[in-house]
Amino acid sequence: MEAENIIEMLHITKEFPGIIANDDITLQLRRGEIHALLGENGAGKSTLMSVLFGLYQPEAGEIRKNGQRVKVNNPNDATVLGIGMVHQHFKLVDVFTVLDNIILGAETTKLGFLQKKEARKKVEEISKKYGLSVDLDAKVEDITVGMQQRVEILKMLYRDNEILIFDEPTAVLTPQEIEELMATMKEFAKEGKSILFISHKLNEIMEVADRVTVLRKGKYVGTVNTCDTDKQSLSNMMVGRPVQLQVEKEPAKPGDVVLSVEGLTVPSHSHKRNAVNGVSFQVRKGEIVCIAGIDGNGQTELVYGLTGLEKCSAGKVTLCGEDISHASIRHRGNNMSHIPEDRHKHGLVLDFTLEQNMVLQRFREPRFQQGGFIKKGSVREYAETLIQQYDVRSGQGPVTLARSMSGGNQQKAIIAREVDRDKPLLVAVQPTRGLDVGAIEYIHKQLVAERDKGRAVLLVSLELDEVMSLSDRILVMYEGEIVGELDPKTTTVQELGLYMAGAKRSQKEGEGA
Amino acid sequence: MKEKGSTLLQKESTKSVLASLIAILIGMAVGAVIILIVGIFNSNLGLKGALEGIQLVFGGLFSTGRNAAGALTFGFNPTNMGNMLFRATPLILTGLSVAVAFKTGLFNIGAPGQYLMGTAATLILALSIPTSVVPAPLVWVIAFVGGCLAGAIWGCIPGLVKAFLNINEVLACIMTNWIAANLVTWLFDNGSLFENLQNHVENTKTAYIYKTSFNGVQTAKLGLDKLFPGSQVNGGIVVAIIIAILVYILMTKTTLGYQLKACGASRHAARYAGIADKRNIVLSMAIAGALSGAAAALYYLSGNTEFYWTSAYQTLPATGFNGIPVALLAASHPIGVIFAGCFMSMLDIVGLQMTNLTAYNEYITDVIIALIVYLSAFSLVIRMLISGRKKHKAAKVDAASTPQVPPPDDGGTAEKGGGEA
Repeated sequence: MEAENIIEMLHITKEFPGIIANDDITLQLRRGEIHALLGENGAGKSTLMSVLFGLYQPEAGEIRKNGQRVKVNNPNDATVLGIGMVHQHFKLVDVFTVLDNIILGAETTKLGFLQKKEARKKVEEISKKYGLSVDLDAKVEDITVGMQQRVEILKMLYRDNEILIFDEPTAVLTPQEIEELMATMKEFAKEGKSILFISHKLNEIMEVADRVTVLRKGKYVGTVNTCDTDKQSLSNMMVGRPVQLQVEKEPAKPGDVVLSVEGLTVPSHSHKRNAVNGVSFQVRKGEIVCIAGIDGNGQTELVYGLTGLEKCSAGKVTLCGEDISHASIRHRGNNMSHIPEDRHKHGLVLDFTLEQNMVLQRFREPRFQQGGFIKKGSVREYAETLIQQYDVRSGQGPVTLARSMSGGNQQKAIIAREVDRDKPLLVAVQPTRGLDVGAIEYIHKQLVAERDKGRAVLLVSLELDEVMSLSDRILVMYEGEIVGELDPKTTTVQELGLYMAGAKRSQKEGEGA
Repeated sequence: MKEKGSTLLQKESTKSVLASLIAILIGMAVGAVIILIVGIFNSNLGLKGALEGIQLVFGGLFSTGRNAAGALTFGFNPTNMGNMLFRATPLILTGLSVAVAFKTGLFNIGAPGQYLMGTAATLILALSIPTSVVPAPLVWVIAFVGGCLAGAIWGCIPGLVKAFLNINEVLACIMTNWIAANLVTWLFDNGSLFENLQNHVENTKTAYIYKTSFNGVQTAKLGLDKLFPGSQVNGGIVVAIIIAILVYILMTKTTLGYQLKACGASRHAARYAGIADKRNIVLSMAIAGALSGAAAALYYLSGNTEFYWTSAYQTLPATGFNGIPVALLAASHPIGVIFAGCFMSMLDIVGLQMTNLTAYNEYITDVIIALIVYLSAFSLVIRMLISGRKKHKAAKVDAASTPQVPPPDDGGTAEKGGGEA
């Protein structure tokens, strides 16, 4: 007789220096269900899953499979128990082919020689059965992120895993890919596989999961059936207080032009066409202008061109009345703060402490240095003020290594730094990507507050909800050009979608929309 | 008192020091085993010789030869001590050179080339400027600064290539090493530009350049010769230690050091923040090069060393390469480099003592050096083991301790209690 719960994690406690990541958490996964694990950044979701997968050893608590106590010392034990995991950041060998990646670690061999033919047959069967189409001979570095994720899923299926863990699988996917993934997950559940789905996107959880377990700050809050709950109560459970899912803001009162862009052209690295082609627009004081579009239509390069990370080949950028088309990044920083798209690559020096990161641009100011010597005391004091004011949580305060902080708090630290620099223009690129509702609410409020203080805000976002609720004007980018300017109050999501897909264009083309 | 000790033990820097010390101890222990094996199977040595060898490995610095009965004697040996400091001088500086580059995310394997360029510039300046016209101390300063500059320029080349063409600095460094080697030969060879600097006073010697003392330009002894009579020590070691302290201040206290480290840790993030990444890469390599140049300058300005070159095949100076193990052993900490450099030169002295007093040759200490270098590369693992043990101990005692014990005391008792358990 089989137990109802295929996996039980009972009273798990896991500590890290300065923080209890999991405090007496219990999670029961039933056979054939999709069980969502919901929580803010740093709530301990990933830690809990790493414990289940054998990456961490808990200080207390036990794991049971089919009612039997088991010990998971490393990922190999997990594999033997039939537990597979798709990590948030894929664990694939870039220069290997898809097939090699799938069989890696579970190769069929004869006398020490690989038996790839058998493996290929098995992978092909699986991929056909679930409609997970991949090119087995392509190298991982050449395929899309969506396909890489399918490779990860195939890896689990190839190992005949029956418990599948998905760690924030939708963060990197396009809306279409998300839909496909949801369908695949439901298919797995129907076959009796059990799925643990880590997410903080409420829409997805409501759509796909049967039950939800909510964690908050390392503690267990509760487990509910999705049919008995709604988005609002879930987000309240997660954050611990009522959350506004809608942005509240007054109508904008735009003032003088702060940023003026004329015919900006930025060459592309990957192909011959320009990534940004003759884009013109203006951003005024006291308004949030949002650049909307599907990822990869030149938004990244547009921001690089504006901030100086990339050289523009043509066009003119005027900031606060000054031509900065060819100015250095540092010079542009005098009137512009920038929340970058890639917080690990650009936003933080990961091996620096939090306080060192807080003065990344400002260390030259007399407040923080004297005669070339850094005033350690003032840096510490400043960092502590920001940490408190913006509620940046970390293990050891100002001396925490940025690398060891959770993604949401890293982002909060960047936002604290950039907002506090107090510049006329704030460029925010996907500031809420990968964050939970509590943090999103907070960041949205910050952006609106900045606008109301008379700052010009240029927001680049891929989330339609965010675009519609936050912006005062929407500029849609498609293939490196601005194809339309929309008013969020009069337009619909459907219309915006048509512009983003390139199916619709404003009449007055070339006039900068 | 107890509490102080435990917080000190928890500090990262303490862990680094501990890790390096453990690496040294394991290296010397394994070295002792090798000496034992070699000794037992060598008819000239036997068990007695082997045991003497082991004694010398650990106490060679304090060896004072043999007494009338033929037994090894130990005591304070000022000559050994002074020579250790003398030999440590260039090692500290090349160690700093590698350490600075490490701290800024670069691997300076070009120290030998920078060292050679520093050698050439120093010798040319020190020997060509007539001391009858320019006062000798001034010539010394000019030669020293010239050596640093030559090293800096040589270090710039891999830096420039890395910053602007994105070519790995290791490749460029290795290539510039050989260019330097042959350039120096070309400078001093028969019939070339500085042929007149060849040592013709002592006829028995060929392919040697004059000692700087020939021109009266040598480093002041600063009374160190009185302190360590019979040794080659001079004021150079003081200069080296001052430079190490300055480098420490530069890297940890200044905005320049902050920028250099930011570029090293994340070039993209530094660029995003408006820090000139290219300039800083070139600058760190220039500083690294200048330090290697300074190593050469202090070594040859000592007045009791002479530069040997050969037109057939120029070798790369080992001092340059030995900067890498020194930096590794010191975990790239500028102050740690002083001690690591002294330690490495001590092993040199040990090697000499073994050659002089036993049937072993000095290469046995090279084996030990190699072992220590190998283990210092594992210092990160050792560090993790130290941290792991600490935590384990703390947890164990935490569980056992009564709730009345106030938390701050816990760490202290944990250390103590764990140690006794």
